[in-house]
Amino acid sequence: MSAPDAVAKTGAIAGRVLRQIRGNRRFSVAMLVIPIAILFLLKVVFDALGVPAPAQRRFAVLGVAYLIHFVAFLLTALVVVGERVQGTLGRIFIAGYRRGEIVAGYLVSYTVFATIQGIVVLAVAYGLFDLGYDAGELAQIFVVVWLLAVFMMALGILVSSTARNEVQVIPFVPAILVPALFLSGMVVDVDRLPIWAQVLARFTPLYYAVEVFGGFFSAGSIVSDVGSFLLLPALALVVFGLATATLREER
Amino acid sequence: MVTTPAISVDALLKRYPRVTALDGISLDIPTGCIYGLVGPNGAGKSTLIKCLVGALRPTGGSIRVLSIDPTEDRWRLRRRIGYMPQEIALYDDLTVRQNVRFFGSAHMRHGLDDAVDRVLAFVALTDRADAAIHTLSGGMRQRVSLAAALVHPLDVAILDEPTSGVDPELRRAFWDGFRRLRDGGATVIVSTHQMSEVVECDRVAILDHGRIVVEETPADLIARGARRVRIRRRDGTVEEVPVGDYRQELPGILGVDVEAIELVQEPLEDVVLRLIGGSR
Repeated sequence: MSAPDAVAKTGAIAGRVLRQIRGNRRFSVAMLVIPIAILFLLKVVFDALGVPAPAQRRFAVLGVAYLIHFVAFLLTALVVVGERVQGTLGRIFIAGYRRGEIVAGYLVSYTVFATIQGIVVLAVAYGLFDLGYDAGELAQIFVVVWLLAVFMMALGILVSSTARNEVQVIPFVPAILVPALFLSGMVVDVDRLPIWAQVLARFTPLYYAVEVFGGFFSAGSIVSDVGSFLLLPALALVVFGLATATLREER
Repeated sequence: MVTTPAISVDALLKRYPRVTALDGISLDIPTGCIYGLVGPNGAGKSTLIKCLVGALRPTGGSIRVLSIDPTEDRWRLRRRIGYMPQEIALYDDLTVRQNVRFFGSAHMRHGLDDAVDRVLAFVALTDRADAAIHTLSGGMRQRVSLAAALVHPLDVAILDEPTSGVDPELRRAFWDGFRRLRDGGATVIVSTHQMSEVVECDRVAILDHGRIVVEETPADLIARGARRVRIRRRDGTVEEVPVGDYRQELPGILGVDVEAIELVQEPLEDVVLRLIGGSR
């Protein structure tokens, strides 16, 4: 009997999660339709406020990042906590799946989902806000949104270890949502905030994405500042490591 | 010849801040038998099982399963065991086959499809293989859960209340299955809170309050039951005489008008409850 290796087992976890997503059509459709509906609302509000087109475009890109990063977080946190509550998480550990394989399997499958979601939502934003970027620029925007989503999934799994049930995830929702809006540099320049708020800003993942987008908006490239660009995947890796280390087997 | 037991537990202790779940459990489970862990809810059966599979770290004592220490080397151990938890831990959105296949994927790559077919036939669910779990009855889910535990080649099956909530017909089929598993060389550990299932096991440990009250064969357990001879007279009076005394007592009694003499066996459930009561 040949025992499956870590890659095969990670693939089994990812395949299983993707089959679950595919088997749950209403959920998948909602995950696509709701961000699109919110973008549409954003467009209506911007037009009513008379926001000029270049500012609208900038906010549309950040808005896409914001929506997808939030969905990625909430989805993974709830799903992993749900698995714990149902007892399947404990069972797959005893079946022989290891922590790293489980976390990586989740990341792979939800990354596939976030990729599809990112492409669809970005395409809608492109049409709705008349973004006018070329393929290369769109690819750069996508890479940032995508990296941020992966980051947030790892964070979702990390948070899931502190919650005994789905309800206990709820306090984390405003804790992620609100600072992301105010401290990330999306609505106000972080440098203009008091020092303590600037320190706090470093704990909101969206801050790093906004940094990278800053380079993109001013210099036309996400790697205009290699340091801040690499920080996003580096921090994602750290959170991934923490999520793996803290994923508990027993309730 | 001395054979190593499949499972060897010595002075096992599991304490939580407020309760002692396992209070010095010692037992040896021979290879190739059906071993019953019997006791009321909260006796410590599930805690003991979770220690055996390395999901819980004991406070004290030692465990060897297939000569492996589950606290030290649980991953090596888990390749050789099948575990069925008490709760039906399956993926509702997936089909029967997808669930079983997923659990099998942790153990094997080649021959997995055949193994899934075999185990689905074993639990008589071949015709429901493509049904989603959320469409199945409770008894069927229980069968899928059992299939997920037994899909891969294993040396020890550790099944936590596999027959709870299962109707009598299916329960008989389960026990037939456990015997086939044992006859194939596996050691089968089954926990139950139903005393009537004691007789299905080759050997049982009765647990209560985290301690083993009795550890022996069902036949020995039954023999502990008091036996009396019940004499019902034509005049309607009934007299019971302990079996041990009946040779002396009967001649005298039989001088009276006797209609029937019956041997009365104390029910197994009463024996177990009496033993548990005596341990408190």
